[in-house]
Amino acid sequence: MNAKKLMGFAAFLLVVFVFVPMFISATGRWDFYYTLTSVALLSVGAAGVWLTFYIGRINIGQGAYALVGGYVSTILVTQAGVSFWLTLPLAGLFCAFISVLIGFPILRLRGVYFAMVTLVLTEVARLSALALPITNGAKGITSIPQPGELSLFGLTIIPAFGSLSNPRVGFYVMAVVLMIITYLVLWRIVNSRLGHLCRSLQQNEELSASIGVNTAYLRLLAYAISSFFGGIAGAMFASIAQSIYPSSFVVADSVNFMLYCFLGGLGYVFGPMLGTLLLYFGWDLLSIAKEYQLLIYSGVMILLMLVLPNGVLSLLDKKESRA
Amino acid sequence: MEQIIANGLYLGAQYALIALGLTLIFSLMNVLNFAHGQMYVFGGFVTYTVVVQLGLPFIVGLFASAIVLAIMGAAIEKFLFAPVVRRSKRDESTMLLAAGVAFFLDAVILLFFGEKQRGVPKIVNGVFNWDMRIIMPYDRILIGVLAILLIVVFIAFMNYSKTGRAMRALAQDKMAAQLMGVNVARYSMIGFALGAMLAGLVGGLLVTITGVNLGMGGPTSIKAFLMIMIGGAGVISGAIAGGFILGMMESVGLTVLSAYGDITYLVIFATLMIFLAVRPQGLMGKPWG
Amino acid sequence: MTPILQIKNITKRYGGLTAVNDVSFDVNKGEILSVIGPNGAGKSTLFKLISSFVPATSGEVLFNGTRISSLAPHKVAQMGVVRTFQETTIFRSMTVRENIIVSHHLRSKASLFGFFIGTKQAKEDEAAFAASADNIVDFLGLQAIRNELASNLPQGHLRALGMAIGLATDPKVILLDEPFAGMNHDETMKMVNLVRRLRDERGVTVLLVEHDMPAVMKISDRIVCINFGQKIAEGTPKEIRENDKVIEAYLGSEDAAIGM
Repeated sequence: MNAKKLMGFAAFLLVVFVFVPMFISATGRWDFYYTLTSVALLSVGAAGVWLTFYIGRINIGQGAYALVGGYVSTILVTQAGVSFWLTLPLAGLFCAFISVLIGFPILRLRGVYFAMVTLVLTEVARLSALALPITNGAKGITSIPQPGELSLFGLTIIPAFGSLSNPRVGFYVMAVVLMIITYLVLWRIVNSRLGHLCRSLQQNEELSASIGVNTAYLRLLAYAISSFFGGIAGAMFASIAQSIYPSSFVVADSVNFMLYCFLGGLGYVFGPMLGTLLLYFGWDLLSIAKEYQLLIYSGVMILLMLVLPNGVLSLLDKKESRA
Repeated sequence: MEQIIANGLYLGAQYALIALGLTLIFSLMNVLNFAHGQMYVFGGFVTYTVVVQLGLPFIVGLFASAIVLAIMGAAIEKFLFAPVVRRSKRDESTMLLAAGVAFFLDAVILLFFGEKQRGVPKIVNGVFNWDMRIIMPYDRILIGVLAILLIVVFIAFMNYSKTGRAMRALAQDKMAAQLMGVNVARYSMIGFALGAMLAGLVGGLLVTITGVNLGMGGPTSIKAFLMIMIGGAGVISGAIAGGFILGMMESVGLTVLSAYGDITYLVIFATLMIFLAVRPQGLMGKPWG
Repeated sequence: MTPILQIKNITKRYGGLTAVNDVSFDVNKGEILSVIGPNGAGKSTLFKLISSFVPATSGEVLFNGTRISSLAPHKVAQMGVVRTFQETTIFRSMTVRENIIVSHHLRSKASLFGFFIGTKQAKEDEAAFAASADNIVDFLGLQAIRNELASNLPQGHLRALGMAIGLATDPKVILLDEPFAGMNHDETMKMVNLVRRLRDERGVTVLLVEHDMPAVMKISDRIVCINFGQKIAEGTPKEIRENDKVIEAYLGSEDAAIGM
């Protein structure tokens, strides 16, 4: 069982670090690097949304945290001269901190009520970015320096991006590594007691309280972790794009994070990763359809919902039960 | 001061109509209709097409919007929402569907009507001026009055018609309504059609004043969500209250806060957060819906 | 010796309606005490008040002399006063065993972070939970269904699972919400047996709310009878059986034929 998992993990590493680059250099579609980098980073944000689903809350506000994370990192880098690598966890922690303040009142809400408030959060973040002096309003912050060198005890762990001959590949590798770490953490959460308690919360909050679970605390914890993921995803995005605007993450992005989770399947840890890949990559491929792109994309989405209402990964369930 | 109140009432009447449609759909099916804003935009474009391109009177355009959107709503319910509600493990699945429908409608609007901002020529000219205290163009007054009239008709319909009463029973207690012989499938469809029709009507009304464009759908949905959060989701009186409160807040905010830049909505959101922390179910909602 | 649980002048009003009015009684350590009353007498409100799932308008509940009313429900559970629910309240998409294991939460010595990184203590905890869960499965005779999904269980088993969840928290006092509701005679007798063993073998004090009179008469050490939100009698089953007020209360309601 464990050997099987290790094999799967090794196969995954092989695909993302060997096959994908080989495929890209064979076909010459260098733009796929950028697309796949986005997929990896978006799936980090989606992992957070998935975790809030796991405690039974519909989170349509991840765009807000991605935006905040992006700005925190950018401002620290451009105005305080902090190393990007340090701002990455700081952006996550800042988002986690804000999410605790916001989550304290709103996590008491359930179902559609919580979903509506989180939807509004993204708009709040955008308007704040427009109104605050430090975020430079609608003009945003541009020409953010690329991440510098990360070294530990004089040993270079990550070279400065400016010195790379092909920063696109560098960003891809970095984003994928971040994604892998995120999903390992998520997988570990789900399979440890923390995850079991989250599941108990999802299924029945009252019963969960009656067996002694501090439900309010647990909800905050899960939401903070979720927002942490959103924050680091946003920080990395801003750094790669070397710019951030109030409209870098809008309501549609928040909705998309939620859709990635749904489409992959809410019952599966790797659902959001697959959902992000399918939807984002699918959207990119559909650009050949020109003005019909959105029509086909949304049409397929609706169709998938009708055929597989419990996510793409629910296909696996059926196979297993047949075998 | 009078001017602010007049503006608030005018805005509030439009908003209340939008919120009524959204809350009706929510109360009947527990579906948060993400596509509500798109339906509103669609309604605006239908009126535009009928009035500007076909050269027919405004009232025909308004009826066309109502009919087209009602049919669209009924079809969306029958062929999309009803099957998904029946088969999915979680209530939330309808959200993905609603978001999909919102994107789909955006795509359809793009293909049919394009990206440009569209408007309809003024239906009446002139400006009402009461001693410089209230200044308001006559067309706005007309549209505001029409909106309030529609709200009154809607409330009367929900209270006195057989269909309206059946829907209210259904919204209150699905099981009990079913036992009493209310055809749940049929009234869910009618409710969805009616909600979509209201969105279309507001679109038709407002296209004469602000015009419509493709990008308005999403923000309109968010405003509608705000309103039903303020008033309490699934409650008719709450939707009306929420609509008028938001209209009033916007009107006051745009006047009082304009000196500090575009922060009206930021203030509204912040107020809402605090309000919801104290009263999660909104003004008139039931606790936990 | 102080009683393990003291209910003191507890009152609950909903708007103008008084659901529970100035009720007081004690529960002694190691006894089985039942609260009975006709439908709508305020039993279930009283139950929620004691388990702190709804706040009292006035009055208080003491556990070993410490006030537990107005504490959050999970705190009450932490102190050792644990309630069960009626059948539908279980973790539906977990198996029977998973339901019981997750409910061992209060017994964990490792922190959540410890569980996350898998410390030695966390591993010991998990092993202990698994062993204890199996023990509870055996105690309640659930061996055959231990790996069934809870949502697939028939009613009778759900009730037992609810009790297993309660037991997993290692309670000092367990509050049972209508444990015999909807059961036939055989099932009721089995449940009566089980509740007795709960007390005899595990030393748990039992407070139950119920309106199945024969079962209550059989099982209880003492009975408290309430009607219209007020306590009308308290005593041994024999005393309650002969109490005129109780007979009157039950004759005046539709439950009259069921019990006495």
